[in-house]
Amino acid sequence: MAPLNPYTYIQCPCSDSASLGRPSDATSPTSADGDEEDNAFDPRAPRANFSLYPLEYLLYCEDCHQIRCPRCITEEIATYFCPSCLFEVPSSNLKSEGNRCTRSCFQCPICIGPLSVTSIEAPPSDPSLLVPDRAGTPHTTYSLICSYCSWSSTEIGIQFDKPNSIHAQLAKIRNGGASRLTAKERKERRKELSHRGGEAALAASSEAAAGQDMDLETQFANLKLFYNSQLADPNAGDNGFSSLGDLGFSSPSSLSRIMNLYTGGKLHDPRAKSKLGAMREAITADEGLLETDLDESSLITQLHQSDFLDTASSTQICSQPPNLGETYIYGAARFNSSLRPVPYLLRTKRSKRCPVCRHIISKPEAKVQTTRFRIRLVAGSYIPSITIRRLNLPGPNGPAAPAILGDLLEPLKPVHFVLTFKNPIFESLKVTLGAPAKTPGRFPSKVTVLCPQFDIDANTDVWDEALKENDRESSGRSRRRAGTESQFQVEVGKIWERGRNWVSIIVEVVPASLKLEPGRDVLKQDEDVLEIPMFVRIEWEAEGGGDDAASGTGRDKDQKEKKELAYWCVLGLGRIKQG
Amino acid sequence: MSGLGSGSGAGTTPLPHRSVANIRSPHTSGNTNPSTPSSSSRPVPTSSFGSPSSLRADEDILILELGSRKLQIGFAGDACPRGTVWFTPSQLRRVGDFRDWSSESKTNVDWKTKKVTGEKWWTRDHELWEYDVREVDLGLIGDKVERALREALTKYMLIDSRPRRMACVLPSSLPLPMLSAVLDSLFTRFQPPTISLFSSPVALTVGAGVRSALIVDLGWRETVVTSVYEFREVNTKRSVRGGRLLVEQTHKLLARHLPENQKKKEGTTSEDTQDYDLSFEECNDIATRMVWCKPHLSSPKAHKSKEGLPTLHEQDESDSTEAESPTEASKTARIPLQSCRSPTTIELPWAALAEPSENAFFDSQYSESSFDDHELPLPLLVYRSLLQLPLDVRALCMSRIIFTGGCASVLGLRGRIFGEVSKLIEERGWDGVQGKGADQMRANPKLQGKRGSRPAVSGPTGVTSPPEAVGGQEQDGVWHDAANTAHEACPVEEQLARGQDKRPRVQGKMRAIESVGAWSGASLIAHLKAAPISTIEREVWLQYGAAGASKPSEVDQKSARQSFGPGGLIRGSAANNSWTLGVWGVN
Repeated sequence: MAPLNPYTYIQCPCSDSASLGRPSDATSPTSADGDEEDNAFDPRAPRANFSLYPLEYLLYCEDCHQIRCPRCITEEIATYFCPSCLFEVPSSNLKSEGNRCTRSCFQCPICIGPLSVTSIEAPPSDPSLLVPDRAGTPHTTYSLICSYCSWSSTEIGIQFDKPNSIHAQLAKIRNGGASRLTAKERKERRKELSHRGGEAALAASSEAAAGQDMDLETQFANLKLFYNSQLADPNAGDNGFSSLGDLGFSSPSSLSRIMNLYTGGKLHDPRAKSKLGAMREAITADEGLLETDLDESSLITQLHQSDFLDTASSTQICSQPPNLGETYIYGAARFNSSLRPVPYLLRTKRSKRCPVCRHIISKPEAKVQTTRFRIRLVAGSYIPSITIRRLNLPGPNGPAAPAILGDLLEPLKPVHFVLTFKNPIFESLKVTLGAPAKTPGRFPSKVTVLCPQFDIDANTDVWDEALKENDRESSGRSRRRAGTESQFQVEVGKIWERGRNWVSIIVEVVPASLKLEPGRDVLKQDEDVLEIPMFVRIEWEAEGGGDDAASGTGRDKDQKEKKELAYWCVLGLGRIKQG
Repeated sequence: MSGLGSGSGAGTTPLPHRSVANIRSPHTSGNTNPSTPSSSSRPVPTSSFGSPSSLRADEDILILELGSRKLQIGFAGDACPRGTVWFTPSQLRRVGDFRDWSSESKTNVDWKTKKVTGEKWWTRDHELWEYDVREVDLGLIGDKVERALREALTKYMLIDSRPRRMACVLPSSLPLPMLSAVLDSLFTRFQPPTISLFSSPVALTVGAGVRSALIVDLGWRETVVTSVYEFREVNTKRSVRGGRLLVEQTHKLLARHLPENQKKKEGTTSEDTQDYDLSFEECNDIATRMVWCKPHLSSPKAHKSKEGLPTLHEQDESDSTEAESPTEASKTARIPLQSCRSPTTIELPWAALAEPSENAFFDSQYSESSFDDHELPLPLLVYRSLLQLPLDVRALCMSRIIFTGGCASVLGLRGRIFGEVSKLIEERGWDGVQGKGADQMRANPKLQGKRGSRPAVSGPTGVTSPPEAVGGQEQDGVWHDAANTAHEACPVEEQLARGQDKRPRVQGKMRAIESVGAWSGASLIAHLKAAPISTIEREVWLQYGAAGASKPSEVDQKSARQSFGPGGLIRGSAANNSWTLGVWGVN
């Protein structure tokens, strides 16, 4: 069993209001405070996993005084770039050329390693002759090679003429080396044909080409063309799709059609006739109709002859980009030979705004190469962090010995944990904790927060602390010494330890025993982890403007305004011993 | 929208008055005007304020297709979705839980120590929803959809979080509570101004370029056979034989071939619960990689296609199990397994890999009467749904069969179903009555006279004639019959005929066609700006939810009544602020 580091997750208040279906007044924490008792947060509920975040993932809006999680943030895109070549892609390209790098950045379809373009030296026909111009002959071809698993694009029969713009070249080659027409070329060819030979030639050529050349992109393009021509047809009038939407007979077109149908003699009204001309369906391959080739025996034979490892795994298939150029739609990427190099997905740099006040709360540098942020209001610098440490009080191996990570908790034996709250802001915090006496779930452990209410001093200058060192000595440090030396000094309602901007308190937990009815039930994944939900409410006094809490300490006290923030968090304490 | 309309109305009504005043006395009008221009100019800012939203609405529509196991998303007008997100257990984890990347999860330590009982637990985390709404957490579905969509938007779509119009492609059998949960999640989390709904069978039909089709959706949870006639779903039949069953059968097969020491020995296996020795991921992988389907036994006869020869050739090789050639019998497939106690490689005969699909989709060793309604073998399911259709609809649908869904990629499965359905039609014709009694009745010459009204139906069932002839007779019979019922020239028929192309429609013979897929079909529909089945506006949804939708039947009556008055047509449509959930809101 994996050792478990104690952890803290915080539930963003936004999900609370959403799940309870309450109006958006939950932004004021008082309302959430009220029903704290009624519906204690259950960290085991499957939905909880969607709203819990580690502190590092959370941002904070200074103006709304609210935590902002990835779910309650509006994003704007600063830059699009390829993670491989770090080339910035203009946003206009994105629409026309898709979400992948169109230069020469590819990932290996077998592993995910980057592919590099390597020239294939044609086997020298005459090695003795070292003619210099031989190297410059157009016969030099290039292939993509994975430096990790040494996969080569020659394995799927693809070679390139040029070492650059691989993406464009790849679009024209099918696996095995056969060339295909891109959509643009196809359109041009169609135009050319219609100029030259008229309808008949066009139909004939497309019929001939349909069999081997039809792929998803072509069929889609044909269909689009066909439907457009049908809709543009003046006879079609009311478009044939109307019946898609007229389930309620509420559209005027369908009503008029029905009226026309049932008002007898007016059927030969020319206007009605033109209206009723429904769109016909596609008949030829040129119009997008494609008969299925149900004979898959050749593929079965291929599967029969191939080894298990010759077939592509489902993860490999999933990472394949949608292959528009495949000749058949089904069973397409089944063998390794039908996989294609994966162009890198582009990435974005995003700036984030608070959805309520529209203030920017995170803004990266626009340049791709830099990882810095211009603005970044992380929640960690606004709300207290909680660290968990196990307290071995009556330890046989010496007092206050740090508990070994991953130590299993004995069922039904009280354990003590030290929770250290560290105040990041320059105001003193008033913290109120609430935890249900029993953890929710099938195995309720008893939880007692010995000191549910305390103040944390402001995160003042370190030098202030140094000056006050002597005063503190008497209260904080001595307390700890007393706690460790005498056997049981954990007192209810008392702070365990206190520092410049932090406070430690004790939580006593009696882990439940994980006894299961034999044969009936199974322990679900992570059900042996002791997690306690805890409602944290912090109050502090911010400056009247509320804009800048950071510079607030030295200012006028009269303008101060009381602020509060409340949220649920989950403390993962450890695994309970089974048996 | 309503504000805009009233604003323009307020702007236009004073206009004639003002113009009259202008004609009469321009000077006085100059004095009275200041009030009116200000009132008329006030709507202008609102309209210009409103225009960005309409501009935004003209932007690309996001099309998302929700399936049982994956979400596909892309822009309308694209040929295929830009990204696909599968629902996996790792998606259910907390943010910042990186156990998937730990070495232990790679070696499946977790899976090995865990004992999984019951099919639900085995597959549950890989699915978005279970259609059984009784024990489903609707909020969880909303969360799953939200997370998957968020991933798709950031990873594949690369778009910011400005509100965009959305269109959902959904199976038309989706229960209303789930639809409601999905819409709720989309509306509250992504703020789209409108969400349109497309039903996937209709989208598939559009994607194939036809107006009527028989959609055989070999999906994950179940196989759904939907008949679409003139873009309308007219009949749906379903069977639980889908991808999930296939993966379970694959597991059974692998577990059977697993050495005994590799199995989890818990010793507490009871009959009603099934223990799983291998992980879902692995079985799913093997099912997609190696499982194939035997061709139909008499498919060359049923196939009147030109590919008859290669089919026949293939059959000699792999089909006849009893007369297998020695090389065939000795051919084994080696499959490496990771998720059993220790990594191992099992060898199993090549033919055995066809068993899962055989058991999952056909179960041909059992008699037809032993199946319940919800577990019909697929050929029978297709046959029965064709049988239920009216004659002319059937004639159109049977020559427009579209196979879709994940299991359509099982090699040979489509051909097998097609072949077996052809055979069923050949054997039985279009007569729903089967069995000894029916046969006797048909054979009884005395009763023939009484049943003379249906000679065309009983004719082909009795005679075993070559399929081509049967098809021809059948077709003749069908159309002869239809002509009898139509007394004179039917006006509706005429109307329909006028819409047709001069070229004859293919009908009455079995034919399978290829569709670009439900997503791409919906992309086409949205691109062509055709009316979706239902369009829901955000405000209305947030105000009323699914309860605000009027049922299609209600709308029928109301608008029909309105339409009878003069000019009622226009008024009825203009004042139409009711919206429906289309097929989803019916029940």
